[in-house]
Amino acid sequence: MASMNKKYWKGLDHLHNTEAFTAQANKEFSEEVPVEDFLAKQEKESAGTSRRDFLKFMGFSITAATVAACETPVIKSIPYVNKPEDLTPGVANYYASAYYDGMDFANVLVKTREGRPIHIKGNKGGFTGGAVNARINSSVLELYNTARVQEPWLNGEATTWGKLDAKVVSELEKAKAAGKRIAVITNSVVSPSANKLIADFKAKYELVDHVTIDAVSYDAIRTAHNTVLGARVLPFYDFAKAKTLVAVNADFLNDWVYPTAFTKGYAAMRKPETGLSKHYQIETNMSLSGSNADVRMTMKPSEEGVVLAAIYNNIAAKLGGETIAANVGDWKQKTAKIADDLIAAKGSSLVVSGSKLAGVQEIVVAINKTLGNYGTTVDINQPLNIGQQDDAAVAQLLKDLNAGAYGAAIIAGTNPVYTHAQGNEILKGLSKVAFSVAVGEYADETAANCTAIAPDHNYLESWKDAEVRVGELSLTQPAIQPLYKTRQFEDSILAWTGSADSFHSYMKATWKSKHASLGLLGLADDFWHQSLHDGVASYSSAAPSYTWVESWNAGNASVAVKALQQKASENFEIQFYHKVGLGAGNHAANPWLQEMPDPITKVTWDNYATMAPADMAELGLNLEIGQELPASVVTLSVGSEQIEVPVFPLPGQASKTIGLALGYGRGNNGENIGKSAFQTAENGDHKKDVNGNLMPIGVKVSHLQQAVNGSVVAAAFGAAVAKTEKEYALACTQTHHTVMGRESVVKETSLAVFQHGHKHEYNHEHTLPVHSAANGAEDKPVTEVDLWDAHPVEDIGHRWGMSIDLSTCIGCGSCITACHSENNVPVVGKDEVRRSRDMHWMRIDRYFSSEEEKVRKAGGDFDYGLMEEPEANPSVVHMPMMCQHCNHAPCETVCPVAATTHSNEGLNQMTYNRCIGTRYCANNCPYKVRRFNWFNYKAYRKFTEVNPSQDEMGRLVLNPDVTVRSRGVMEKCSLCVQRIQAGKLDAKKEGRPVKDGEVQSACAEACPTNAIVFGDLNDKNSEIRKMADGDRAYNVLEEVGTRPNIYYQVKVRNAEHSEA
Amino acid sequence: MTDSPQNPTKYVSRNTLCIKFAVTKLRIRNPLNPNYMVSLSRVNVKCAPRFILVFAALLFSSISLFAQPNGEMLFKGNCASCHRPTEEPLTGPGLKGVQERWAGREELLYEWVKNPQKVLNSGDAYANKLYSEWKASGVMPAQAVNNEEIDAILAYVASYTPPVKAVADNGDGGEVVEAADATMWYVVTALLLLILVVAIFSLASARKAMAMAVAREKGQEYDGPNTYAEVFGLWVRRNKLLVTFLIVAALVGVLREGWYGLAGVGVYEGYKPEQPIWFSHKVHAGQNQINCVYCHNSAEKSKHAGIPTANICMNCHTAVNKGSITGEKEINKIYAAVGWDKETRSYTGETQPIKWVKVHNLPDHVYFNHSQHVVVGEIECQECHGEVEKMDVAQQHAPLTMGWCINCHRETEVKMADNGYYDEIHNRLTKEELKKYLNGDERITASDLGGIECAKCHY
Repeated sequence: MASMNKKYWKGLDHLHNTEAFTAQANKEFSEEVPVEDFLAKQEKESAGTSRRDFLKFMGFSITAATVAACETPVIKSIPYVNKPEDLTPGVANYYASAYYDGMDFANVLVKTREGRPIHIKGNKGGFTGGAVNARINSSVLELYNTARVQEPWLNGEATTWGKLDAKVVSELEKAKAAGKRIAVITNSVVSPSANKLIADFKAKYELVDHVTIDAVSYDAIRTAHNTVLGARVLPFYDFAKAKTLVAVNADFLNDWVYPTAFTKGYAAMRKPETGLSKHYQIETNMSLSGSNADVRMTMKPSEEGVVLAAIYNNIAAKLGGETIAANVGDWKQKTAKIADDLIAAKGSSLVVSGSKLAGVQEIVVAINKTLGNYGTTVDINQPLNIGQQDDAAVAQLLKDLNAGAYGAAIIAGTNPVYTHAQGNEILKGLSKVAFSVAVGEYADETAANCTAIAPDHNYLESWKDAEVRVGELSLTQPAIQPLYKTRQFEDSILAWTGSADSFHSYMKATWKSKHASLGLLGLADDFWHQSLHDGVASYSSAAPSYTWVESWNAGNASVAVKALQQKASENFEIQFYHKVGLGAGNHAANPWLQEMPDPITKVTWDNYATMAPADMAELGLNLEIGQELPASVVTLSVGSEQIEVPVFPLPGQASKTIGLALGYGRGNNGENIGKSAFQTAENGDHKKDVNGNLMPIGVKVSHLQQAVNGSVVAAAFGAAVAKTEKEYALACTQTHHTVMGRESVVKETSLAVFQHGHKHEYNHEHTLPVHSAANGAEDKPVTEVDLWDAHPVEDIGHRWGMSIDLSTCIGCGSCITACHSENNVPVVGKDEVRRSRDMHWMRIDRYFSSEEEKVRKAGGDFDYGLMEEPEANPSVVHMPMMCQHCNHAPCETVCPVAATTHSNEGLNQMTYNRCIGTRYCANNCPYKVRRFNWFNYKAYRKFTEVNPSQDEMGRLVLNPDVTVRSRGVMEKCSLCVQRIQAGKLDAKKEGRPVKDGEVQSACAEACPTNAIVFGDLNDKNSEIRKMADGDRAYNVLEEVGTRPNIYYQVKVRNAEHSEA
Repeated sequence: MTDSPQNPTKYVSRNTLCIKFAVTKLRIRNPLNPNYMVSLSRVNVKCAPRFILVFAALLFSSISLFAQPNGEMLFKGNCASCHRPTEEPLTGPGLKGVQERWAGREELLYEWVKNPQKVLNSGDAYANKLYSEWKASGVMPAQAVNNEEIDAILAYVASYTPPVKAVADNGDGGEVVEAADATMWYVVTALLLLILVVAIFSLASARKAMAMAVAREKGQEYDGPNTYAEVFGLWVRRNKLLVTFLIVAALVGVLREGWYGLAGVGVYEGYKPEQPIWFSHKVHAGQNQINCVYCHNSAEKSKHAGIPTANICMNCHTAVNKGSITGEKEINKIYAAVGWDKETRSYTGETQPIKWVKVHNLPDHVYFNHSQHVVVGEIECQECHGEVEKMDVAQQHAPLTMGWCINCHRETEVKMADNGYYDEIHNRLTKEELKKYLNGDERITASDLGGIECAKCHY
């Protein structure tokens, strides 16, 4: 065992245990620690700082720094040298203007503060009746996009306007001299002055072809009318007169033809009290319009013709007329009720279709003609000027471009390389043109491939006019000086035709001559000034005379129907659509729109394929998507093309079909279109691909659109879906799809019950069992049971409130972006949305109906069974949800610092400077509408690429009347208290009561259907008072007893339960 | 009291001055401290009789306004920006003696004031002579006054006597005397303290000497304290209770001062930054009696009172190119800013905005609206900004703290009369409130209508 006791020595000293060694070994430190020296005063002076001194100095410096930091910051204030007469700092000015981008049009009012446009709202006196969609009211942010081309470019280098103009003119002259043609490619030009200008240009350069390429082609409708009417008209559809409405793959509330005006018209017929239209929607994807339909049916894209043929044949069978030779199968029986309803509403019914096939559109014309809808719901006397694209002309242009027939090309306001199905062909053709100049705001997919870029003004910097519908003139006026060295398209054309005129004076002259030629009353100058003030002017002219064909030949129709039918296969069919947010992709860099949840899927910041849950289950794809539950990625093979996309399960998607949004994958080749158009990683930096290029959000799919009988349709057939092992996280703001039978949240009824039933049948009062001496227990209305005293708001002073009509709310999200703009709501980016940290003050909850019902189990409990599962083709309710401004607010009682309190005007006030961020209030809020600032969004690097307020230009859009909240505070809807205060002040200054409707919250103002009504509940004659007293009015979660100032109106659906 | 109807502003000023001084004395640094408010209200109570007098004077003057036009107010509102009531010229000629100049042609004088261009066009020789003399200022704009009002203005001009300098200086002098008094008090206190300390030390020395002498006498060794420290130590040991009390008191005092000191962080009362142009409110608003809103015109329309734009300066300074204090030096800076060439009397088009330093800074999370207070609340500018008309360099008068805002909202009665908005609000008061209001028992203050709720200013 000796080895166990083996001893190791440090050295011989140790071995021998010398005295010196023992002495040394007893000391821990080999040398004396000079503690005394160190602490001695003398030493301290020479040897620097002791620990105590360090602490002393640190304490002092912190105090000193704190005190120093409290010094007055010197703030400079720089007044104008010469103040513009109509501008008062601190007072907003509004300018009537108009928005037009080739797809959307609306008459708008631009709110400016100190010369900066900060908010866009609808012009109620305009032709679109004040309706704006999210894309239009968010457009104000795009003005401040720093990715805009800021100076003219020539051959990839910045240049001056003088040099560019000289080059353009010489190239045009050269082309003319060489006998080559000049192409002017634009979106649909609706401006009378610009059209005149282009005619001038044509006259100067002679061999000029003006070709229209829009993001969406409505050639089929125009061609169909040409066949039967002899005129390529695009009628105006008057939805306000349509008592029965059938839409087949036409999302008229979102992107079809003239959505703002159509939405306004549609809303007029969706008020249960004054008559409710019957809306049938037959479609592939669950669209915004489809989600509002009374009866919705699903179909495949290849069935588009068959469905319409079946409707037509059913009608023709009763009203007479040639039938279409087509195998309509079971659609004959499925559309029988539709046909009956259409006939019943003869003359005030409407059928619309999104089909891109002229043959199919002929059926639509025939149906509307047979029903006598021309002259009532279909107006060809004052047709639309939008959607001018002639597909044949585009095909010819493509051929000629590639044949080298063009010597020069001017491309303005359109991005065909990206939007057109044959974008790559166009790109090839452009490369064969000696000189091409793009006029646009961005160096986009088309402009980046042109020889020169003549940067265009934003519409907020331009003078423009528009005649979207014959007889309806609108004006766009600049609301700010140009931010960059840009010039508007029309001024460029003027310069290139050698005119020294400005478009402003050119346009004024056109208007004056118009005034003369139309024989309008008054002075031409007055007409101009009045039009500029109003933003609109209308005139009536003699109705054009059309000659209908004697008898319609259904030949074209049956060919088209059969051609579509033949596309059907065992494989999937893809229906392409435009997202409510991004439109045709021109808003891809707008962070407000990227962050706005899609109205149906509630997904933000992404593109994805939508599929029916049953199909997905078959393929074994993820059906649950949430914060930690990513979507499956599939490979879609269409012909020779393959793309990878995540899949989102969407109830209501037609079986064996896929919905895929156009408008994504912008900036595929590193085009600079704005930082928010590209993917960001978890730390907020842009994601980069292997080549170091920024990765666009979503994939470009426009090239997947296929042609049927030579016409490009918004669909692809025979698509194969293959599951990959990849998964992809989607940021979805609502992962719970049904309302789980909570009838105190969503109340819905049918028109029959609403019209004939008593209030308690569809909107019963909630009661609570209360102890009573006489009866033991007694049910009392919730309003009579109080734990504490009520806030004295009834009949005292003002009591601001809101009513939201679930019947007219279409879920478009216009209110969300308007709120963003008005209240400086921060953008948080995909990663934070995924963590449920989105900051929207207003959200729209979308609920699908479920087939299951709760069952009462023995013992009184409920069994909710499969209620979470929506139906295969569910009906939908859109429910805007924001702070309910409860008079018995649960949040107020739990705040330890009284940062959230009740005002005597019924507002639940949130005081940011008092809030310490305990988040008790959010936990106690039954409506879950409070948002916590997790980060300093306006400075933290994670949000640099997404939050516009981190951008030196982007922050110019902030509303100076609303605080930009900082990290660590709670925020929520304030009911636009800044507007309430301003409205009251105006009334006080003028010495009059506040007028009803004078004060509007941003959401109410932005609502295109007037579903949101805002006002003073204590004003006995106000609209809001009437709404709140109406039979349909209820409070959400009334039984909780929070007594909200926000009322909802019961949703009334014009359908029997069996139909839906 | 004789000049009070004519010159009520001065009267009020003197009172405000007295209050200001009283407050400075009584004031405790933290305005959030309830004591502060007590002290303020105490002052108000003290001064109440005087206030009543002032209000009576004001009331009288406003009543007389209804009875007959107030020449002074009309003059200041319409004429003062271009004319002086003396013979001195401003942008236009001095008005002293105008009646004599137009003697016998009163009707034409009325016309001349109401529509000068018409009189010029009529070819009147004197009017055209005046015009050619004052060409640089342009034709006088037509004034919206009636003959009766013109008479009142003329009467005011005729009766106007320039204020005697000595009277104006009285106020300042008073302050100086008070300041001197304060200094005296400090000196006397310091002297007394010094004497006390010397006395203590000498007494202690004497006592030690005596104790030593006694010890020597008794033949003992002196074992008493030798140093002052020892004396102090002994004293402390003998008076433990008192010492404890003193320490606690000192601690409380230090904490209290620290607390109030911290509360004062960010309060910049008296902030008086140097401005790029030595602009004197005293000269403009005081001596020349230009109405505040003539230059700060957005105060009645906007949340901002607005720093006057340089084109407003030029309304007068096209003619006035020499100041009484700084000569041409400061006025030339305006010319440089607007690009005015003095020689050719024309604009060059080269402008250079003036970078003023903001004096009153509210935090970003506060919404304050001038027009609410000026138009609806009818609050005099001086109530918050102090006697600007006596300041050469503008300075922050009020603490601009929340306590200060709230105090005013608690005490200020809402001007409900003759306002349709409040007529409607009457109908929506609680019964008790309405009763109180109608009986005149209690005033309806801003806070009664929710004026101290958070979201009235924070949103």
